[in-house]
Amino acid sequence: MLKDLLSKLHIISPKEDQKKFDQAFSKLYKVYGKTEDPWGLNLHKARKSMEYIYPLYKDYFKVRVFGKENVQDQPYIITSNHSGQIAIDGMLISTAFAMDVDPPRILRAMVERFFTGLPFVGTWAAEGGAVLGDRQNCIKLLEKNQSVLVFPEGVRGVSKSTPDYYKVQSFTKGFFRIALSSNCAILPVAVIGAEETFPYVYQAKSIARMLGLPALPISANYLPLPSPIDIYIGKPYELPKGLNADSPDKEINQHIFEIESTIQSMVNEGLKSRREFWANVKK
Amino acid sequence: MLKNKKKILIIGAVGGLARILSGLTAKELDQYEIIGVDTRDLSHLPKKANIRYEKIKYTRGDFERLFRDNNFDTVFHLARMSHAQSNKTNLAQRLDLNIMGTNRILELCLKFEVKKVVILSTYHVYGALSDNPTFISEDSPLKASIKHPELRDVTEMDQLATNWMWKNQHQIETIVLRPCSIIGPQIKNSMSQYLTTPYAPVGIDFNPMFQFIHEFDMANILFKCINDVPTGIYNIAPDEVISIREAKKQIGIPSISLPIFALSPMAIAVKKLWSFPDYLLEYLKYSCIIDNSEIKKHIKDDLFRFTTRESLELLKLR
Repeated sequence: MLKDLLSKLHIISPKEDQKKFDQAFSKLYKVYGKTEDPWGLNLHKARKSMEYIYPLYKDYFKVRVFGKENVQDQPYIITSNHSGQIAIDGMLISTAFAMDVDPPRILRAMVERFFTGLPFVGTWAAEGGAVLGDRQNCIKLLEKNQSVLVFPEGVRGVSKSTPDYYKVQSFTKGFFRIALSSNCAILPVAVIGAEETFPYVYQAKSIARMLGLPALPISANYLPLPSPIDIYIGKPYELPKGLNADSPDKEINQHIFEIESTIQSMVNEGLKSRREFWANVKK
Repeated sequence: MLKNKKKILIIGAVGGLARILSGLTAKELDQYEIIGVDTRDLSHLPKKANIRYEKIKYTRGDFERLFRDNNFDTVFHLARMSHAQSNKTNLAQRLDLNIMGTNRILELCLKFEVKKVVILSTYHVYGALSDNPTFISEDSPLKASIKHPELRDVTEMDQLATNWMWKNQHQIETIVLRPCSIIGPQIKNSMSQYLTTPYAPVGIDFNPMFQFIHEFDMANILFKCINDVPTGIYNIAPDEVISIREAKKQIGIPSISLPIFALSPMAIAVKKLWSFPDYLLEYLKYSCIIDNSEIKKHIKDDLFRFTTRESLELLKLR
């Protein structure tokens, strides 16, 4: 009964979406197996979580995904801009790749170290596919033909102040070196709209330091606002020949800058067709 | 008749693992004579033609006599004092036995020209930390005592053995094994006790992944160390992993779901009802999954006879 009520309120997926889940997860079970994996991914739990997230993805944030045709049946290092104070972009990108991209895949989102130590949240994220952002984890997952999701802006991405909302912050280099060592293609992704879900008020840096958190954004609201969100998937970035994981910084910097610029231009382009903030209400 | 036989010393012979190892070696290698020593009562141990048991005190004098009287070919050091019944007062005793005792045994092995020594360490040396990568390799830092100083004896014993191993690699073959949680009807370590204790808490807030090895498989790997495994440090774990909640479900013993983060401050009160080492709480929060690729290079066939689920099922026989 509760399930029906939640379904009517669009808090869990209605029955018509169940067919979509069945289709996607029948493929996912074949790839990821029915038992837990060493990082804690549990497809049964992932599906349950997805049944709650999907109505938010579809009806609350009204996510649109562009560039699905750029995704082939191969592993990728998916590199995205990071935004939104309390980052929900990872969750939405993962939902897009599990439900709206073919063949579906569970993205192994690389999360901050503090995140894995959080009660409830850390376990819930791990069951859905999230993994501690560690180079060794990333390499092992790519060896197993899985796609990883990285946010090379890190905390700088989520703790942007209002004027910098759509400025991609400088990338760290780790993801590119991993791509070179594993010879895995990089897929640039741009997310637009997550910034408005938690409007920036103040970044409580000293309290964050005291609590051992990477950032502590003070927001006007802690329930995300219904900002419409667009996800743009770019063309895979071809890895340069002649470089390896131990090449000097000066040789790889230009490539990292190119990926950064690609995502920035995808953000700029996406902003042109950005829906009004109140698009949800109008529709 | 036994005088010409090669001799194997098993220190800590009363332990469940040592008992299986003794039986296996006695059966498979009849050219060896096995001598098992322990400080505990040996009377109930199974009698076999090529196994001899001696109750000794773990003192320098007793060990010197033992090594002087026997020309050991292989020594198994399985006598690490466990943390299962740990408390602060026996920390000094554990440090003395696990570190000083190990040092004495290693010195004697070198002095009396033992060919191979096998030391049983544990995966606990890596520690359960929120920033552990999955598949920790043998050359990773031993971080167990960062949060839990009472695990100092475990990490120091391991480090002592591994330093000694490289230093003396040309004189003696040394193997340090770091197994994951060994479980089975005969094993009484802290994890087996936790899994089989009714109403032991299971986290609702954390669900770490575990690797479990059946006691027979572990004994079999120890046995294969005699001839098949060269000097080195080896993680011992199956490929399979299972979350603690699934493992508990598999065993089917009732448990209480509690937030583990709230248990830490309550640990003192809880300990009065249920005895467990403090560090175990960390293992109920964070995974410590080890990489088994090194041992697989040397033991390829029938490495693991029991699946994780079978091992857990068999734990019910306790």
